[in-house]
Amino acid sequence: MMTNQLNSRQLPASFRDPSGFLFSRGGVLYRQVNRVYEQEYIRLFESGLYEKLVRARLLIPHVEVDQALAESESAYKVIQPERVPFISYPYEWSFSQLKDAAVVTLSIQRRALKLGMSLKDASAYNIQFVRGKATLIDTLSFETYKEGQPWVAYRQFCQHFLAPLALMALKDVRLNQLLRVYIDGLPLDLASELLPWKSRLNFGLLTHIHVHASAQKRYAGEEIKSRGGAMSKQAMIGLIDNLEATIKKLAWIPKGTEWGNYYDITNYSDSAFEHKRGLVAEWTNRVKPSVAWDLGANNGVFSRAVSTPETFVVSFDIDPAAVEKNYLQMKNEKTESLLPLLLDLTNPSPSIGWANRERESFGSRGPADMVLALAIIHHLAISNNVPLLQLAEYFAKIGKCLVIEFVPKSDSQVKKLLASREDVFHNYTVEGFESAFREKFIIHEKVPVRESKRVIYLMEGK
Amino acid sequence: MHFAPLPYLDPGSGSFLIQLLIAALLGLGVAVRASWGKIKGWFGIKAKADEDDDESTE
Repeated sequence: MMTNQLNSRQLPASFRDPSGFLFSRGGVLYRQVNRVYEQEYIRLFESGLYEKLVRARLLIPHVEVDQALAESESAYKVIQPERVPFISYPYEWSFSQLKDAAVVTLSIQRRALKLGMSLKDASAYNIQFVRGKATLIDTLSFETYKEGQPWVAYRQFCQHFLAPLALMALKDVRLNQLLRVYIDGLPLDLASELLPWKSRLNFGLLTHIHVHASAQKRYAGEEIKSRGGAMSKQAMIGLIDNLEATIKKLAWIPKGTEWGNYYDITNYSDSAFEHKRGLVAEWTNRVKPSVAWDLGANNGVFSRAVSTPETFVVSFDIDPAAVEKNYLQMKNEKTESLLPLLLDLTNPSPSIGWANRERESFGSRGPADMVLALAIIHHLAISNNVPLLQLAEYFAKIGKCLVIEFVPKSDSQVKKLLASREDVFHNYTVEGFESAFREKFIIHEKVPVRESKRVIYLMEGK
Repeated sequence: MHFAPLPYLDPGSGSFLIQLLIAALLGLGVAVRASWGKIKGWFGIKAKADEDDDESTE
């Protein structure tokens, strides 16, 4: 069995759990279930919980595969979960994405309790968006519920979900970026300090965050004598209900931000827009990517021109309001092959966690089969001063094919960017752009966008 | 060099105790709601269907 360790790879995100771990072999993702988890695994099925959760699309389905694939002697079973087309992290989610992930975690816990099990983790990283819906991906998160035992994941739930959602709703939506620093969720004393005073008038936030934070400080390091028999099932249900009610009451309504109403203030005509959309759709049909990344997607208009059951599109934008609108529309239309995410391309998600390997960087989750970079190059080359050659190199690294729009200096949007700065961008011309990108790409198509000064290209990495 | 004692203080104990306290309180609410449902039942008012039996979550 040990010889299997050649040509395989244990994934660094799941080292913490003694119940099992993820590994990949030949591009396929597997999860080893260890013998220590045998009883719980059997109970997950015998109780009917697995079937109930999978039917409600709350838990990722899996199939059991040949045990010879096991990575170590401690294996009880090897399972192959349904593939998630793109792994995303809570600091890349909009408000409603994090809220849905929280509500899903609580509904799973409530269903588990009914069938004699309980979640031992409430990590936001265990939730992924699968076919448009927040879904638990860690099959080994359950343990047998013993009446009297408190919820071991209570603190983690408050840190991963409640505290960031409360801050986003009541203080500033950008505070979800704290999750990038605090990998195990927001410290509750910090959340308590940052939240406005009025949050104390909300019973759920008063107790689960403010009083909770004070209790952590007050009882820090004290030994707890009895851990069993202290909390009735009724009390547990009351706790879950209250967390859910508190979360459901939190709301964030995007206001017109820098980009929120971008398409209303854009400088090109309807005919230019339609021309551009037609070209993008036609080229996608030619490339047939299984995964496409739309960078600077705004509310996802072009992502939708590309997304088909065969093409999964990750729709990135820097503006939380645009991502929120995109997600709500996706949910409303029940689109399964689209994932809106928050991303600042000038400072993309880094790899974080233990040994900097727990959560992958933006770039290492690629390359995508196709990258869309529409109306974004001027922000990178002019606002952020990135030389064109470096842009070409980066795009070649993250995508195999590239659909890119060149926005020249004569364009009114670029004129606005240049109004407040010295024009040091001498090679920012169609010729300069093409010569830089030819270093890394073959240009297959070049089409001037109708009724505009812009040019759109289809390129393929060399 | 000064070593802050903070990293050795586990916030887990406080979380544990406060959970017991909050849950005990909220558990009472669940009991009250359940009895209220029963009382309403005597007068022929049906309780809301259990949401967990739905297929969807949102």
